[in-house]
Amino acid sequence: MNCEEYWNEIAGPEPAEDFDAHLAACPACAARWAAGRPVAASLRLLAAEMKHVSAPPRVEAHLVRAYRERFRRHVPPAREVRRWWAVAAAVLLVAGALWIGMRQPAPPLVAANSGFAAAAGSEEEDTAFVPLPNAAGSPQDDDVDLVRVELPRSAITALGVAASDDGDAESVEAEVLVGPDGMARAVRFLN
Amino acid sequence: MKAPESDHQLFERLRAGQEQAFVALYHRRQPALYRFALQMSGSAPVAEDITQEVFLALLREECGYDPGRGSLVAYLFGIARKLLLRQFERRRSDVPVDAGAEEGRFAEPVDASDPLADLACRERVEALRRAVISLPRRYREVVVLCDLEEVDYAEAAAALGCPIGTVRSRLHRARLLLAEKLREERHGSASVPAWKAARCAI
Repeated sequence: MNCEEYWNEIAGPEPAEDFDAHLAACPACAARWAAGRPVAASLRLLAAEMKHVSAPPRVEAHLVRAYRERFRRHVPPAREVRRWWAVAAAVLLVAGALWIGMRQPAPPLVAANSGFAAAAGSEEEDTAFVPLPNAAGSPQDDDVDLVRVELPRSAITALGVAASDDGDAESVEAEVLVGPDGMARAVRFLN
Repeated sequence: MKAPESDHQLFERLRAGQEQAFVALYHRRQPALYRFALQMSGSAPVAEDITQEVFLALLREECGYDPGRGSLVAYLFGIARKLLLRQFERRRSDVPVDAGAEEGRFAEPVDASDPLADLACRERVEALRRAVISLPRRYREVVVLCDLEEVDYAEAAAALGCPIGTVRSRLHRARLLLAEKLREERHGSASVPAWKAARCAI
């Protein structure tokens, strides 16, 4: 074994038995080995001292955010299925509630309260104000707010008003009288 | 008792969107990568950036890890090294001016029970730390990887993109350079090392 072969094979911190013969026969390599030996020991000391050093927690926090951003669209299959079941159940509940509401007999039409009519004061008086079920007593003229909204066409029949067949619109415009307590008192359909 | 998952298994799971696998791999490999970047750059903020970038690379669509070409740990160190080289090129300087002064650079005392021994030990370790960081880059990286982080020679060779024999010879050369630097620091002069004076007879 020559010196080059020796150093290519034996750069570890401790020489193996097989290599002792070369060190014994070569003073140059023995001197090189001796020079490197205390450094290897000190390096182990430095390694031990550094052992507990690691990146600050903010690095992990940033990476976890990046990970969630990267895999946001990838939802594990089981969770995805559960989510779709929840959506389907919600749709069924809403449809059932609407169906039950439509089957109930329509309340009798009540003539518009003079106060309500006065509050409206609009030119688009296609229908009279219909008091909403469970609404509190008629508020004073100056106690109400008039709010214009869009409602689904099915809401007309639910309140006992005949829906006109002219118009294919899914929604109708309406004015709602809102009392000082924030509760809707009456509604009037405009078209 | 269940055996811990391999790096490769964690990698497969993290790529499938399992965050716990990503966090587990991060906890397992981050400290060594951070210390490697810290010892190479001498800068805590740089080490932080490098650690972050290494793990972000795992999230990219075109992540270049190929298990057939080497272990995941070698791949991670390889990325860290490339990022550090880029950083060095930007700074146009291989060795920082005052590496030790930065946040997170110094560790706790080694032995608090004997103050004098502790002081001597700390001085030795600090001198060695300075010597390591002043090594030329190709020697520093093998010392940090093999001696300080105890990465085996084959993985170090894969991370550095060189044969194992080169790692071995650089490592020994690096230790000799360190010994020389420490001797110079102790004696305040550049003496000729004993191993240079002798002639190889075989």
